[in-house]
Amino acid sequence: MKQDHERDTAAGAAPSDPVDLVEWYFEQGWTDGLPVVPPTPDSVAAMVAALGGDADRLEARVPPRWGNLTREVLAINMVMAGCKPAYAPVVHAAILALCSSHFNLHGIQATTHMAAPLLVVNGPVRGEIGMNAGANVFGSGNRANATIGRAIRLILLNVGGAWPGDLDKSTLGHPGKYTFCIAENEEASPWAPYHVEQGYRPEDSAVFCIATEGPHSVTNHVADDPQGVLDSLVSAMSTIAHNNAVSSGSCAVVIGPEHATTIAGRGWTRGDVRRYLWAHTTNTFDDISFGGRYGKIYNRNLPKWYRREPGARIPIVPSPDDIHLFVAGGEAGRFSAFLPGWGHMTSPVLRAIDGSAPAGGERCVDGTCEL
Amino acid sequence: MSIQSTLPSGQIVFDPRGSVTAATVTLAPRVGSLDGVRLGVLDNSKWNASRLLRRAVALLESDVAPSAINRYTKDSFSRVAPADLLDRIAAENDVVITAIGD
Repeated sequence: MKQDHERDTAAGAAPSDPVDLVEWYFEQGWTDGLPVVPPTPDSVAAMVAALGGDADRLEARVPPRWGNLTREVLAINMVMAGCKPAYAPVVHAAILALCSSHFNLHGIQATTHMAAPLLVVNGPVRGEIGMNAGANVFGSGNRANATIGRAIRLILLNVGGAWPGDLDKSTLGHPGKYTFCIAENEEASPWAPYHVEQGYRPEDSAVFCIATEGPHSVTNHVADDPQGVLDSLVSAMSTIAHNNAVSSGSCAVVIGPEHATTIAGRGWTRGDVRRYLWAHTTNTFDDISFGGRYGKIYNRNLPKWYRREPGARIPIVPSPDDIHLFVAGGEAGRFSAFLPGWGHMTSPVLRAIDGSAPAGGERCVDGTCEL
Repeated sequence: MSIQSTLPSGQIVFDPRGSVTAATVTLAPRVGSLDGVRLGVLDNSKWNASRLLRRAVALLESDVAPSAINRYTKDSFSRVAPADLLDRIAAENDVVITAIGD
């Protein structure tokens, strides 16, 4: 097209009037449904530089289209999303984590389920780039949270080809398919940060990725002990309706700071919370098999060691370690949240911003760790 | 279009999609007849796929009398089958059927 323009000019034809580039990108079908920031050579070059230069370097192939994500293509999508160059390390780490084989991005992109990749950022990078870990953490209002998540979505659409109804077969989707990125509120948390629990140092920064539904609010304004708060979470989690009930796997729980303070005030650790939630969050086998109404059900997608008999209590995930727990949100309000996962078809992944592995991270490949 | 191009107006635009590297793969030769074939049955482990496969195999058993029926199961309906499993299926069968079913 550059040649066409030069030929027009050489022939004496005047350049046509400028077009509205926001509308032009809509017409190409290269947006998430919201206006994008039209990239310029300078903005793309600045983003490539922030990614470490070498514009043609291949970072990943993004399923199910398997588009080649070079640093230049990554930069273009980041500019379109509205990212600052300072966000480059987080977006870079997140997309490499999402494209690791453990995560099965291919399935998450194509599934009829509504799951979308949630990013949770830990470590000093949160403050350095001004992420929101506090009030309205899952909501609007923060550029870093919003545009990091949006850059990931634009890559999943443009490079991964997950266009709704085409390669993305999700029946319903959810709003996190625009942007779905939070930071842990380490400052308000009574416990060690999530990435430290997984073997990293507090001074490391990391991004955690898990495929989940949207957050389900858990209200408890009366309990002054761990059991009371957590029993409300157990109630939200004990249902046959989510994918964990039929496909096991992993899920996420976000404890609001007030709830966390109440729980930790009685000496409960993060591990105690996960173990309590796991032990008491169950469905009966009768419920998940519909009481035999549709014939005998075994369900091979649940662990072999579950008792498949009337009255048996069936956990929603195989172990406490499959409940990924964070503290996030504003300091006022007695709320937490449960985010059901997609199922055993995916493993959550954790990646340090600098690609380093934690001590003893034997399940880490190329800097991304299967959890 | 290349990753960066210029509109007739002179404005520069960028293609955010990334290229796709693809190789052409030809289909295996078709079998002329199903009579006496070694039939591979790949169960993808999804709820209703196995029901569909059971019915399909029952029909094939009565219609074409396969010389062997070899059954395989994927560990996860959503993950790609491991390469060694696909190699085994290819080596041990003349035709293979699979199914998906939510």
